[in-house]
Amino acid sequence: MLTSVLTGCSKVNEMTPQKTFEQTPSVKSTPDSTTKTKEPAIIVTDMAGREVKLDGPVTRVVALFPSDCEILYAIGAGETLVGRGEYCDYPQEVLDVPAVQSGANTNIEQIISLNPQVVLMSTMDQTEEQVAALEAAGIEVVVSKETDIEGVYTAISMIGTLMDKNIEAETIIESMKDTFFELSSKATGNEEKTIYFEVSPLEYGLWTAGNGTFMNEIAQMLGLKNCFGDINGWGAISEEQVIERNPDYIVTIAMYFGEGPRPEEEIMNRAGWENVTAVKNGSILNLQNDELSRPTPRLADGARILYDFVYGSTELD
Amino acid sequence: MLEVKNMTVQYGDLTIVDNVNFTVNNGQWLMIVGPNGAGKSTIINAISQGVEYKGEVYFDKKDIRKYKSHERARMIGILAQNNYTNFSFTVQEVIRLGRYAYAPGIFSRQDEDDERHIAEAIEMTGLTPLLKQSVLTLSGGELQRVFLAQILAQNPRLLILDEPTNHLDLMYQKQTFALIQEWLKSPGRAVVSVVHDLSLAKAYGKQALLLDKGKVKASGQIDKVLSAKNLDEVYSMDVYSWMRSKLEQWK
Amino acid sequence: MRNKEEGFHVYEYAIFAGVTVLTFALCVSMGSVSVPIRDTITIIWNSIFNTPIPDTIASPSIILSVRLPRVVCVALTGASLSLCGGAMQGLLRNPLADGSTMGVSAGASLGAVIAIVLGIKMPSLPFAGTMVMAMAFAFVSLIIILTLAYKMDFSLSTNTIILIGVIYSMFVSSILSLIITFAPDKVKHITFWTMGSLAGSSFDNALVLLIALMSFGGVIVLNARELNAFAIGEDNARHIGVNVKRVKLVVMICVSGLIGVCVSIGGTIGFVGLVTPHMVRMITGPNHRRLLPASIFAGATFLMLADLVARILLNPLELPIGVVTSFIGAILFIYIFYTSRRKSHA
Repeated sequence: MLTSVLTGCSKVNEMTPQKTFEQTPSVKSTPDSTTKTKEPAIIVTDMAGREVKLDGPVTRVVALFPSDCEILYAIGAGETLVGRGEYCDYPQEVLDVPAVQSGANTNIEQIISLNPQVVLMSTMDQTEEQVAALEAAGIEVVVSKETDIEGVYTAISMIGTLMDKNIEAETIIESMKDTFFELSSKATGNEEKTIYFEVSPLEYGLWTAGNGTFMNEIAQMLGLKNCFGDINGWGAISEEQVIERNPDYIVTIAMYFGEGPRPEEEIMNRAGWENVTAVKNGSILNLQNDELSRPTPRLADGARILYDFVYGSTELD
Repeated sequence: MLEVKNMTVQYGDLTIVDNVNFTVNNGQWLMIVGPNGAGKSTIINAISQGVEYKGEVYFDKKDIRKYKSHERARMIGILAQNNYTNFSFTVQEVIRLGRYAYAPGIFSRQDEDDERHIAEAIEMTGLTPLLKQSVLTLSGGELQRVFLAQILAQNPRLLILDEPTNHLDLMYQKQTFALIQEWLKSPGRAVVSVVHDLSLAKAYGKQALLLDKGKVKASGQIDKVLSAKNLDEVYSMDVYSWMRSKLEQWK
Repeated sequence: MRNKEEGFHVYEYAIFAGVTVLTFALCVSMGSVSVPIRDTITIIWNSIFNTPIPDTIASPSIILSVRLPRVVCVALTGASLSLCGGAMQGLLRNPLADGSTMGVSAGASLGAVIAIVLGIKMPSLPFAGTMVMAMAFAFVSLIIILTLAYKMDFSLSTNTIILIGVIYSMFVSSILSLIITFAPDKVKHITFWTMGSLAGSSFDNALVLLIALMSFGGVIVLNARELNAFAIGEDNARHIGVNVKRVKLVVMICVSGLIGVCVSIGGTIGFVGLVTPHMVRMITGPNHRRLLPASIFAGATFLMLADLVARILLNPLELPIGVVTSFIGAILFIYIFYTSRRKSHA
């Protein structure tokens, strides 16, 4: 049931407080204060609506999805990580943790050999069959599913509960909310400028992030209009459309590998783009670290970078 | 005209043609006979440079390997055993390609000489009514005549025919052999043909080459080559009585 | 007897060229963003004669810098791939032969990917490394496929070559996936190599394609009579005096070269070389002196239209062009296969 609510939410863009209530995992963990011999039981309802029960504190975790890894580190539970998905690359320390295959190539045996109590995975690129296979091996699986910023809060809160780090999790969520509130209140009142998010550069065929993505949500929060808000999710788009829609700002998340022109320089030099406002003004931002594309606490950093880029530098609190 | 010396063809360890020697002179019609797998078609392929061979083939006393492809084609016309194509060329287009050897390369123009030979070849083979037709619509016999016309248009001095009457009914068999006989009458020409039908071979040829398992069993005058003893040994049966018993039926 | 000249008359060329030019005009004036036809003409006219474009016209750069180079590249790629398809079908006497069905395009893309991953570059020419590797791999693939086919079936029947081509393509694409898994950052998106895209083409690309088409394509067209002979049969070609080894080598080098250039610029765009020569043959017949020039025009026309569909069907989203060509091509493939089988059983 919870799943269907979440799916429904992802289509709506504004944040509404009611959803937070519904999405918050029902936490029934009640530390037994009277007896110290018995470990507190942890019960978490994950974001796929599955109830996961654990006898004691979690000490061995495998996280397959980059955002789950980041959240673990953010709440101070990074040392419990015994395995990470191959694409988990933030923060730096995570690279010292043994990597396992993820997504379609997930290797169940590889995960079992790390002997985790819990595997964190995302509905984004894991399947129900993989969940079932892990559970059959006696490993608990906690599923995250972030489709908007509210979902990120939910995931942080859920992982906080799982790792018995509720206070840390709440602190992070509050800090994110503060940042977003600060930025969105400062940003209001400006005339509506347009922004184009480039996910894949021209050489590989243009892809952008449309409605229902974090970039779209943060752009709206900052009083910006996504040029391709009429597209659902990520999509391959026509070069002509970008020129026609004439964005005031361009954010590219194309990776730079140290050779050839940098992504923003490449856009500046594209034939036919010279009259695009963002190109004329040089208003092109290259984000190299997934600040706006990954459902993690760093979305707040990404929002701040984007705000600074659009409105000029802000004083840090 | 044509001289084959010590020709040997091998596919891996398998020897298909084993040290074959023969010559063809002006005005001769050499019949190559022998059972299936004797190496008849392979010899033809070797002469046309379609397979690797050891030994030499001389045309007008010059090693045939030293001629260019189109020079060879001006001297030797070869009718293959099986001709088929997947594309609907017209009869005319296939015949006209016979003149390729006279204007190979890029900037080719066909002249009156070409037109004359093409017209002659069409007339000799009686293909005028079929000229515009697609070769895909022809019967096996008609197709065989188209390729014969192509070779005649090629105006070679030596015709090499691999079972020229393969697909033809009796009347066309007769017509084709008569046509080749007529063609041979012009000076400076010769014919080599692989023939399965021994009585046809005997009726038209004066020289013969009898092959058995890649080796020459006998060669020279056709009557001597196709002796009862030779044929018995090569075909492992009494060929003469078989032929006679067949004829008995027609009395 | 008429028909002395087997090639086209001037007026026949004019018809083909006219259709191609009209398609070109249509494809330049239609697109994701609609620009009025009058504006389009004004933009192109004024830029040809170097007169300023009036300010009233909204976005000349969409036409001049985005759409025009792309359509030109698409047309040249279509022309090249069709010519290659027609030439291979003649050379192998096989109506189903094509760069994509035989695995040559897949081989070329493998070469391009290896060049990118290993950073093989030529000084002064940034794309030359990829292109040369694509050509070399296309040629080696062609040799491998034909050698395997000869070993299995000496008569080189239609089905054997296609079967080996399909298996070879699968083999190559598995290596391709492997390389892309290990070096995902440097290599273009995998759909580029499997479905092709000419988005973001430049006039530089167009110039390279034009040079390749004029040189390699020119040699192929000049071998039209030899290809006629091959189309009737390789033995027959040898018998009438064609230097079969040389012609085969020359045509294969040119086909590999042309496919290599196309793949390194536009990825693998499947079935173009199968679809257009087949349709053209219905009009011109199988004679390569008409078939090859007509395929150049028809291939350009076909691919421009396919690209137009890819550009505007899901506007503002864009489809990979190979999706469109493969959709049409696969259906036609089955049709040709079915009819040729029936013919051979009849």
